[in-house]
Amino acid sequence: MNKTFIISLFTLTLFVVGVAVPGCKKQDLKLTTTEDVNIVGYFDLHADSFSLFRQILERTEYAPFLNAYGAYTCFAPTNSGVSAWLTKIGAPNVDGADLNTLKDMVKFHLLIDTITTASFQDGKLPVPTMFGQYLVTGVGFNGGTSSYIINRQALITKSNIKVGNGIIHQLNAVLIPASLSIAKQLEAKPEYSIFVDAIKATGYYDLLNTVDPDTTKRWMTVIAEGNVALADSGINNFQALKTRYSQTGNPTLANDSLHMYVAYHILNGIKFLGDIINSTSHETLEPQEVVTVQLINQEVILNQNVFNGVLEKGILVNRVKSDNAATNGVWHDATAHFSVKFRKPTAVYWDVCTFPEIVKLPSYYGKQNYDFVRISEADDPLSEITWGWGSLAGTNVLSYLYSSASSITNYACNNDIMKFPLGLPARPTYLEFTTPPVIKGKYKIWMCYRQQKQSSSSNNLCSVSINGDLLSRTFNFTDTRPAGTDTELEPIGWKRYTENTGSVWASRLVGTYEFKTTQRHKLRITNLVGTQNNNNLDMIHIIPVDEDQVLPRFLPDGSKLYQ
Amino acid sequence: MKHLIKYTILLLIVLSSVSCKKWLDLKPQDGIVRENFWQTKEQVSAAVTGIYSSLLYTGTNTGSDKLSMAELFFLWGEARTDMVSTGFRASADELDIVNLNILPTNSFCNWRLLYQTINYCNTVIELAPGVLTKDNTFTQDQLNTAVSEALTIRALMYFYLTRTFGEVPLKLDATISDENLTAIPKSSADTILNQIVADLKKAEPNLPATYGNIAMDKGRVTRFTVNALLADVYLWMDKYTESVAECDKVINSNRFGLVGGQNELFNSLFYQGNSTESIFELQFDAQKLNPFYSMFVSNTRRWGAAPQLMEEVYGVDAVNTVPLVDLRGDGCSFRSSDLGIWKYLGANNFGTSSRSSDQSFAHWIIYRYADILLMKAEAINQLDKPMEASRLVKVIRERANAWDFDVTMDSTSKIGMEEYILQERQREFAFEGKRWYDVLRNAKRNNYQGLNYLLKMAAISVPSNRQQAAFNKLRDKNSHYLPIYLYEVQTNKLLVQNPFYK
Repeated sequence: MNKTFIISLFTLTLFVVGVAVPGCKKQDLKLTTTEDVNIVGYFDLHADSFSLFRQILERTEYAPFLNAYGAYTCFAPTNSGVSAWLTKIGAPNVDGADLNTLKDMVKFHLLIDTITTASFQDGKLPVPTMFGQYLVTGVGFNGGTSSYIINRQALITKSNIKVGNGIIHQLNAVLIPASLSIAKQLEAKPEYSIFVDAIKATGYYDLLNTVDPDTTKRWMTVIAEGNVALADSGINNFQALKTRYSQTGNPTLANDSLHMYVAYHILNGIKFLGDIINSTSHETLEPQEVVTVQLINQEVILNQNVFNGVLEKGILVNRVKSDNAATNGVWHDATAHFSVKFRKPTAVYWDVCTFPEIVKLPSYYGKQNYDFVRISEADDPLSEITWGWGSLAGTNVLSYLYSSASSITNYACNNDIMKFPLGLPARPTYLEFTTPPVIKGKYKIWMCYRQQKQSSSSNNLCSVSINGDLLSRTFNFTDTRPAGTDTELEPIGWKRYTENTGSVWASRLVGTYEFKTTQRHKLRITNLVGTQNNNNLDMIHIIPVDEDQVLPRFLPDGSKLYQ
Repeated sequence: MKHLIKYTILLLIVLSSVSCKKWLDLKPQDGIVRENFWQTKEQVSAAVTGIYSSLLYTGTNTGSDKLSMAELFFLWGEARTDMVSTGFRASADELDIVNLNILPTNSFCNWRLLYQTINYCNTVIELAPGVLTKDNTFTQDQLNTAVSEALTIRALMYFYLTRTFGEVPLKLDATISDENLTAIPKSSADTILNQIVADLKKAEPNLPATYGNIAMDKGRVTRFTVNALLADVYLWMDKYTESVAECDKVINSNRFGLVGGQNELFNSLFYQGNSTESIFELQFDAQKLNPFYSMFVSNTRRWGAAPQLMEEVYGVDAVNTVPLVDLRGDGCSFRSSDLGIWKYLGANNFGTSSRSSDQSFAHWIIYRYADILLMKAEAINQLDKPMEASRLVKVIRERANAWDFDVTMDSTSKIGMEEYILQERQREFAFEGKRWYDVLRNAKRNNYQGLNYLLKMAAISVPSNRQQAAFNKLRDKNSHYLPIYLYEVQTNKLLVQNPFYK
């Protein structure tokens, strides 16, 4: 062995050691695609704020599933909120608290969905908590800043924290679920004593006190009247209320008016004010009776309606005292006494050319023709009228025709008619209106039109349906009115509705319909046979069955003629 | 043989050193670097034109790059107001703005387009002076004009930013190399407004009153653009005397006037653009269409006019045989039959003929003479001269054939005039991106004495099931400003989010 060889060997060894030994070091391979934490991971990272809530999750054994894959929304109270709550329930610390209470508490703070503050509205969240009750959101303003309030109990101090399996909203206090039913809550408030007595007397107390395990049936909404509201109407005690309404003497009977009074204050489903104002009417437990709703100057007003031109003042709902969540629903406070109104069915002589969009155009309405064009199927320019899209795009035009000279409109009510193309294969297939309010009852429906044929062979047979129920008879826009006296015509379903006696001014009976509720309804004209553009509808008469069907007739200036 | 090797090596060295020259050149082959630009006055002029062209930027319509400046101006100025309603194609982000449920992830809170233009301005301000020594034909006057144009546009951008976001980072030097990529914190609204005023004051004397051609006078900033902008800035800062002085400079120049008559009003002001009334507008044309066609046209509509405008803003006359009509209402600002925003969609003032998609180049008007008159009216009313203010309002109303359908003007009361001028501005500048700023300016005056203006507007614009929340949100004055876009907060650690969006 010479020296050179030893040096080479040494160098080689040194090289191998230098290269290979560091290579032995365990390689740090990243096995995760993200460093985003899940809900529990976030609490661990922010232990200074959430250590107590984290401890509760551990004790209730909810931590593992909140750290797994999923889509949750967690309203997480901070340590100060949790300690305040623990003191309130009399527990020394998390380990000393009752396990079931802790479980309920966690469930009430969890939703199975990701809800950001963008979906908050004045009322309940779209999904219930895992506890089963809904959370109510709002915004509070205090000391110059506004924050979201949950259940009127806690403020959101940090919102929309996005984590791997959902969203966290940080709360400054613990949310406490409602523990009483609607009935018990009202009973606990002496200012509702008369109303509660009425609930008890009519037997609705049990219903309002049960929490049905079936959540589709559980929820109810009550619009309660306080003693002050009743006193304003001269009812100072339950006896006075009973004397006024209970005509049978037995309020448990369904046909007793006191029973109806209470039933009329209960709605099915859980409806916070934010939900109530989303719909114009709500059905009550009193069959076929609805409460109508309007939002006027930001106030929720019940039962304010115009009937035959007369405005009936509505009932104001007290926003501050409303939206009270209970175990089986929610209750609100009405500021005045109201009950079912029994209205006599009244005829509606409806000039179809009085829809809001045309009335808004002063240079056209009552002056000249105007076309409402729908450019695409998705386009919907008229709020109270719509139609089945015709594939021939140019036929999707609803024309307002006005002229005192034209033979098409010269004898029409108010000198105007609505012209609308209808018919297969390419024109619109149906035309649907929202009617004016109709009082519940049985009515005959008359279609009043100005007959016209686009060409000599034109034909346009239509059926009429109300709220989806098909009426018994059809009518045809190309049929003229047969000759004959009123008494001859009425039995065969025709009448003359204009002063003018021309046979082109025709009114056809399309059937008898029983309106089940007092509200605005949907009336649809569906084409059956034939197709043409010149379907000239002037009026629709909705006349109670027991009233004169022929008179009044209508003059071109819109006035009625009773002979 | 030895010589051959020697010469071959020599040749190789020569050849390789020659080819190396090109090879080691790191300049881009398809563009010009800064050292090669900023040599001639033409290049300065091109850079200034680039600033204007950035204002017309309409994006590529995909991904995060889909926003355009005019669209942002419209959304920031109108979306939260009682002037518009959402169409069926409105995005979730847009509905959130209407509901006052704006989150930092809302794409319309992204201010990058404005800062991009600000950087173009900063580049001109920083590098144009160097050209003076390189191009002998470039005069000091030309330099001053170029820099002043950049200063004015930068001030306009910061004015939009501070009115929309409240506090924003104030970046006054150009980002021309990676070394300048430093994070900067927000500056207070006052700092920004003072900077705007200083910049505009500096720009004003150097800008020409006219460039000698109508299109350039309306599309480039002139001295009067600066005056109009200053008047608006002073009004925002509640400095009324200064605001009146700036308005008077425009009025006394006798270069502007109201266009009159029914046809003229719509046709020359909005359809053709560049009218004598206009002071500064974004000049879209057939080569550079505005972003509004697909936003407003009914089959892809994202925004339409609000349904109550006719009855409650312009008035419907049901009494007279020949009805009184406010010329700015139906058929001018909007078409009441389908609620289309006619200022940008229409081709005539009868509501019958509309622009086709390739003609959608209605200009976006930033300032016009009517604005000067009403800003002056607002300012002198605040200086306790409601009577004089009412005369200016009357000029505007007479031009438009406006009629009293609801409230009559009470020229004796300052409060009454304040509200009336606000309403008149609503009628006059419908859909011109001004309504939110007008209402907010009046609301925040005297420590938010006019908060009710905002609440009244929310009562109309916010859907009924979210109104109560919206009212309480509006009571927090931080809610009047948009949140900083999430991406900006994440990348610039010095930015502090607006506390309302906690």
